[in-house]
Amino acid sequence: MFPSKPFPKTLIRHQHQTSSFIASPTLKHSRKIKMLRRNIRLRKEYLYRKNLEGDERVQYEKKMKIREALQEGKPIPTELRNEEARLRQEIDLEDQNTAVPRSHIDDEYANATENDPKILLTTSRNPSAPLIRFTKELKFAFPNSQRINRGSQVISEIIETARSHDFTDVILVHEHRGVPDGLIISHLPFGPTAYFGLLNVVTRHDISTKKAIGKMPEQYPHLIFNNFTTQMGQRVANVLKHVFPAPKVDARRIVTFSNESDYISFRNHVYDKGEGGPKSIELKEVGPRFELRLYQVKLGTVEQNEAETEWVIRPYMNTAKKRKFIGE
Amino acid sequence: MSIVKDSGFEALEKLKSTEPPVFLAPSSISEVARTTSQYLFEKLKPFNPKSPFDQLLVDGFDAEQIWQQIDIQCQPLLSSLRQDVKRFAQNPKEIRKLGNLALNVSHEDDVDEMDMDGFDSDDDELEATESDGDEEEDDDEEEEDDVEEDEEEKSGDHEGIEDKFFKIKELEEFLEEGEAEEYGIDYKNKNGVAKRKKQNLRDDDEEEDDEEDEDEEEDDEFGAFAGGDDEEADKLGKARYDDFFGGKKKETKMKLKDLSEDDEAEIENQGDVKLSTHEKERIKLQSKIERMEKANLDAKHWTMQGEITAAKRPKNSALEVDLDFEHNARPAPVITEEVTASLEDLIKSRIIEARFDDVQRAASMPTKAKREAKEMDDSKSKKGLAEVYEDEYVRQANPTFAPTTFSDELKKEASMLFKRLCLKLDSLSHFHFTPKPVIEEMSIQTNVPAIAMEEVAPVAVSDAAMLAPEEIFSGKGDIKDESELTQEEKKRRRAKKKRKFKAESAKEPAKKARDDTTENPKTVTGSEEG
Repeated sequence: MFPSKPFPKTLIRHQHQTSSFIASPTLKHSRKIKMLRRNIRLRKEYLYRKNLEGDERVQYEKKMKIREALQEGKPIPTELRNEEARLRQEIDLEDQNTAVPRSHIDDEYANATENDPKILLTTSRNPSAPLIRFTKELKFAFPNSQRINRGSQVISEIIETARSHDFTDVILVHEHRGVPDGLIISHLPFGPTAYFGLLNVVTRHDISTKKAIGKMPEQYPHLIFNNFTTQMGQRVANVLKHVFPAPKVDARRIVTFSNESDYISFRNHVYDKGEGGPKSIELKEVGPRFELRLYQVKLGTVEQNEAETEWVIRPYMNTAKKRKFIGE
Repeated sequence: MSIVKDSGFEALEKLKSTEPPVFLAPSSISEVARTTSQYLFEKLKPFNPKSPFDQLLVDGFDAEQIWQQIDIQCQPLLSSLRQDVKRFAQNPKEIRKLGNLALNVSHEDDVDEMDMDGFDSDDDELEATESDGDEEEDDDEEEEDDVEEDEEEKSGDHEGIEDKFFKIKELEEFLEEGEAEEYGIDYKNKNGVAKRKKQNLRDDDEEEDDEEDEDEEEDDEFGAFAGGDDEEADKLGKARYDDFFGGKKKETKMKLKDLSEDDEAEIENQGDVKLSTHEKERIKLQSKIERMEKANLDAKHWTMQGEITAAKRPKNSALEVDLDFEHNARPAPVITEEVTASLEDLIKSRIIEARFDDVQRAASMPTKAKREAKEMDDSKSKKGLAEVYEDEYVRQANPTFAPTTFSDELKKEASMLFKRLCLKLDSLSHFHFTPKPVIEEMSIQTNVPAIAMEEVAPVAVSDAAMLAPEEIFSGKGDIKDESELTQEEKKRRRAKKKRKFKAESAKEPAKKARDDTTENPKTVTGSEEG
């Protein structure tokens, strides 16, 4: 535990200097600085933990081996002989939290489940009237969400305001001549950003008039994810899942994300359990319906242009037709 | 050919009957005009040995092209015509002769009325042209007619050598006359006929005998239109005259000859019946091969030309062509009724199972440790009451001997863990503690055995002092016992002792000398000093 070198005093001095560089800050400004520093520190921790991942994974593998050996009654592999005792002790002390190897990816959603998500919905610049209508519909579809006009705000401004007001997700909607064609879901405390393309969009306004279609319940819905089998699929499912809060057990509303050859169908239903048992379930489709096509996942928020891309679609590869990334 | 001739003649008649203004506007008369020109062209052909055309091509050609063809044929004729006209201008008598000759011919022949009509019209036209002395006509047909007529008249004149019409002498005279004209030498005209002959001779080519013959017997049908170019002197066989004046046998011969010409053309028509299927197929194949070879020579279609820019192919042609394009991306799914139905089935099944993929609220770490709820054990205590009291007393009196309880063990473990933790935390600051501030207190400590202070009943006795050894004894250097001293050190100690004693004893006599007041104080002090 003893460090080899004493903590360099010069470093401390530098840190001190940065704070004094900004001469005579106002109170608000100092709060900003604090937020900035806090963000920097959090990001450093995040990156540090990301770096450790490799080691942790190795340790995890070793523990797995020992656990297996113990369970099956086989002799412990020879390469682990030296560390066997220590690792065995660690295995004994593990609980469910520490048993699973944690990656930086999990850390993004580590605290997400403690509170309900708070979503900020907005569009691209100069939205057309159909796009605004669609965004309004999405506001009803995602519970606990808020829509703002885009105006002439820059993306970084939006993200800053969202962070300061403790939003957990920012969702941007893009269009092409009135037809919504893009959806960007960005998790806020430096979380991942998923870029989707929208196809086959059917909005509630398209179907019929306001009176005819009736109101949509804004209950916290149950979620169904179908055919998200690969690791990438699980990741996408995670991103979409954490946009919704935890529902009540007896919720009547269902939101479905069904994957079929890398095209995710979004459906919004309200169900009524009839009297006649399991056969008589009435499904009523409510809300917009569209197909999502994931084309990029970035390990940073929307505003971070230099963020690392976790995954990007490759449509012009010769074998693109044969490969499926989300399901099957 | 005969069919053409008939229709041509009819067309000619029709044209003649139409009003001149009709020609100015485009009308159906153009078809008629074409057939007429074709017909007349054929008539003129024997007179024109250099003509490259066998017949006037009118199908699919416009007026310019037809005119060009006629022009090519008529150019040499025009020159001959000019000369004839000049001749006639000089010798008007010859015209009359020509006219008489024509009439004679018409009388002698047993020909159709058509011929007669043609004849008369020809005469009229001939005179008209000659009276005018106009060589340039507006209508092509009239010109051709005139030319034809002239030629025919001349041919009519021409007979065999040394006939009643032709004499070699006359020929020579004529030639000389012509030369005189050309070179400006004046010469007398004696024989118009000879001149004409010479004229014709000059224009003639020798190779056209056959053509002339053929044309002659064609024209024989119309009588007055007899013959081709008779500008050759050699050609003047009896046959020519006989054709005119009784050459019916020759007509038939010539007709046969004509037929023989047409045989080749007709054979193919007749041969269809004669050809075998193999030959038919061969012909088909050959035509196909020819077509394909022709297509190969032509420029390729743009779709077969490799890389093509939009500028090189016709506009919007890419829309019509079936382009074969390989798409690498899977196409977007079409949401049909079936798809929706399958989705809804899936949802229903999930509802029935109540198997949702909801977000699970993670149990957060407790901020406060739970109050230790001491469990009340209902079972009867195993230890008797006396034993319990015993344990308590032992713990109180002598904590080391008391058996540790479970909670004690836990506490021990906890304290051990905490100590270790503290160690690690301290290492973070490299064991640089901020030392506690020293509060100086004063308290009197008596040197009483420590144990006496603590316990009431001395179970054990100790002579541990409250004071530290330094507080009891403040000495310096090596402390030796009397037994350890060497002889010299004993002496030294004794000497020191003596001195001390003396010093003290000096003080005492000073005290005794206080009774004697008379003594000098100085002496007292001196003794004290001593």
